[in-house]
Amino acid sequence: MAAIAVQGLERAFEDVLAVQGVDLEVDEGEIYGFLGPNGAGKTTTVRMLTTLLLPTGGRATVAGHDVVNEARAVRASIGVALQEAALDPLMTGRELIRLQATLQGLPGEEGRRRADDLLERVDLGAAADRRVGTYSGGMQRRLDLAAALVHEPRVLFLDEPTTGLDPVSRKTIWEEVRALNDEGTTVFLTTQYLEEADQLADNVGIIDSGRIVAEGTPESLKAEIGDPHIQLQIAAGSIVEAEEVCARIGKLLPPRDGRTVLVEVANGAADIPRTVRALDEAGIAVESLELVRPTLDDVFVAKTGHHLEGESAEEAVGA
Amino acid sequence: MEATASLPEWRSNLAMIAALMARSKNELLRVPGAAIPGVLAPTIFFLGLNGVFGALTQLNGFETGSYESFIVPVSMLQGAGFTGAAAGVNLARDIEAGWVDRLLVSPAPRWVLLTGTVLSASARSLIPASSVFAFALLLGAGWPGIDGLLVLFSMVAAMAAAAACWGSALALRFKSQSAAPLMQAGMMGLILTTTAYAPLALLQPWLQSVAEVNPVTEVIEAARQGFVGGVSWAGTWPGIVALLGMLAILGAWALREMRRTAR
Amino acid sequence: MSQLATNARVVRALGMRSLRQTFRRPQLIAPILIFPTLLLAIQTGGAGGAVDLPGFPPVQSFLQFMLAGAMMQSLMLAGNSGGIALAVDIEMGFTDRLFSAPIPRFAIVLGRLAGTAALGLFSSLWFLAIGLVFGAEIESGVPGALIVIALVTTTAMAVGGIGAAIALRTGKASVAQGLFPLVLVVLFLSSAFFPESLMIEPAKTIAEYNPLSFVVDGIRNPIIAEINASDLLDALLAIAGIVVLGLVLSARALRHRLRVG
Repeated sequence: MAAIAVQGLERAFEDVLAVQGVDLEVDEGEIYGFLGPNGAGKTTTVRMLTTLLLPTGGRATVAGHDVVNEARAVRASIGVALQEAALDPLMTGRELIRLQATLQGLPGEEGRRRADDLLERVDLGAAADRRVGTYSGGMQRRLDLAAALVHEPRVLFLDEPTTGLDPVSRKTIWEEVRALNDEGTTVFLTTQYLEEADQLADNVGIIDSGRIVAEGTPESLKAEIGDPHIQLQIAAGSIVEAEEVCARIGKLLPPRDGRTVLVEVANGAADIPRTVRALDEAGIAVESLELVRPTLDDVFVAKTGHHLEGESAEEAVGA
Repeated sequence: MEATASLPEWRSNLAMIAALMARSKNELLRVPGAAIPGVLAPTIFFLGLNGVFGALTQLNGFETGSYESFIVPVSMLQGAGFTGAAAGVNLARDIEAGWVDRLLVSPAPRWVLLTGTVLSASARSLIPASSVFAFALLLGAGWPGIDGLLVLFSMVAAMAAAAACWGSALALRFKSQSAAPLMQAGMMGLILTTTAYAPLALLQPWLQSVAEVNPVTEVIEAARQGFVGGVSWAGTWPGIVALLGMLAILGAWALREMRRTAR
Repeated sequence: MSQLATNARVVRALGMRSLRQTFRRPQLIAPILIFPTLLLAIQTGGAGGAVDLPGFPPVQSFLQFMLAGAMMQSLMLAGNSGGIALAVDIEMGFTDRLFSAPIPRFAIVLGRLAGTAALGLFSSLWFLAIGLVFGAEIESGVPGALIVIALVTTTAMAVGGIGAAIALRTGKASVAQGLFPLVLVVLFLSSAFFPESLMIEPAKTIAEYNPLSFVVDGIRNPIIAEINASDLLDALLAIAGIVVLGLVLSARALRHRLRVG
């Protein structure tokens, strides 16, 4: 049985169709990455799957329960960490997780034990009795994650769990997600960060303007776009000759400028040595050489004609 | 891997309500001075109204010569109204901050979530009520007797619960703190368009008509019994019925709004 | 002269901003008008029999007596609201933008007061209209109505000055908001809602010396009787006193704000 099964899911807000007929399936034990720019419909989809929003069309089941007709059973099976880490600044971390345990129906003693264990697990043991309002952004996200896990859910929904975090905190969250998945938890993760989807997800669904535009493993999606290409800048010699040499090795791509050659190669890094040798034999000096693999952003551009915003923002800040 | 609750459902629900009430007390205990506005406003109203309108008892038709005694239940019920409306404002704030999503995504029944908010308001209302009562006694209001006191404080707690249902319904409907003036003004209007200032016969005709159909008039009259005469079942049951009616209607509305949040 | 014209333009621009802020946000206007109107209706309906008390001034109705108190309540809330708006500007950093501009410092406060004055004017017209609709005539006719409007508008500005001083001193909207109960206290301890002579001690004695009582009586006089120069003069002196207090406090608070940033 699929952990999450979605058919033709739709959500309209007055005259805006935020989610337009999404179909997807997530197997048990899988990490599914839901990738798209701001406003694509990721959060709306998550809110429907977590019963916070009613669909206006289609159907969905989570852990075998229909999100509309068996909403309470869905809630008992899922853990959710939403985009805004909705925490109460006046509570301590320990109080918050214990409250979550109570809301999940755990008996008092068991809830307390699990809360204490989880706080240690997410490295908040020392800060457990401090007010949440004093926590850093990274600490708040870890607490939010811990609260989502207190009842050992079958399916975990993480809505942009690392947005706004520094690289170290982001890595910590990734490690925790992998560990959870190793223990058998199905994870549905929305993100606008390519690297996050690439690193974590077994399967990726790319959403834009409320529709899924591509779906598959990260590798298969990138392979669809094409082979990797070698990008080289020549230091001395004729650019025309360099292009002739490279054309014998792979498929030439349109040049960017007068000193750069782009050649698509079928064998990836294995083609680099013979490329260098051939250029050397032709008397062409190479200033720099790089193997460029397709990214999920390339997939996005190929499917939609524009870049993912998150990727653009990352590039802008040099992340 | 799904955690199965080994508690019977009724115990689990009670534990959830208790946990939500425990959270709400943080607002009073962990925010310095948070309790002051809720206590100050009804106390000021009591002292002010008494100082301003106290001479009204000279008019024929007043059951008591002490305006403090006449008005103290009104101010206590006003405090209950403020407290309940404030619960609605806090809920609106929690909705804006995303906290309520955390509650809604849990398997806790919607009525349990609402009951936690309402009972918290009910308990908190006893604080301003006690402040007003203490000032009233200091100013010379008569002692209402144990039965009068029980009826009075029960009415206050129940009124706060009804006000919390009102405030919660508005918070869930508008999902914004900007509905706060409506929460407060609505309660103020409900409580004061009654025999708050004077007996029914001395009200202006339009207010008399409104007071006659306003259920809170029965609540005020029941709460006032110990101060103007004696407590009797005949004087108490209309207030109880009025409160139960308000709780039923406003509670049903609030629950409906809570269930509709996913729309 | 040209500096004066420049300053006037600055005050006008800031005043227009203040007006736009006020009237574009109904949730700010509503408490200033609706709450006092509600209270007016309820108090008139509930305590209307007071006109039969021995010693109550001769009036057409309790509503006619109460109109001045309702206006007073409204203008005090308007002054408080102006203070809150200025505190929000400070918290948002907007006042820093103004302080770093080549404009006179007092223009910042005057501009804010222009908004408060407009609210005062609006509330006086509102309650005069309510009075007329529900049968409470202005005994001294149009001249009396004009005096009422002028007094309410200037008092709103005067009270606004104190609100501005508090905002500049504390820089926190929450402090300004928390002053609302104080507004009620000051009003209850005046002749806003009942004749002083019929109030209960100690409220009665406090009301006799409360400057707001003089202001309210000055506003009330043209509504319930022919214009009385003595009442008018007392009101003007009381308003002048509040203006001076507001100016002194605002000036000191402004210096404090410029020092601490």
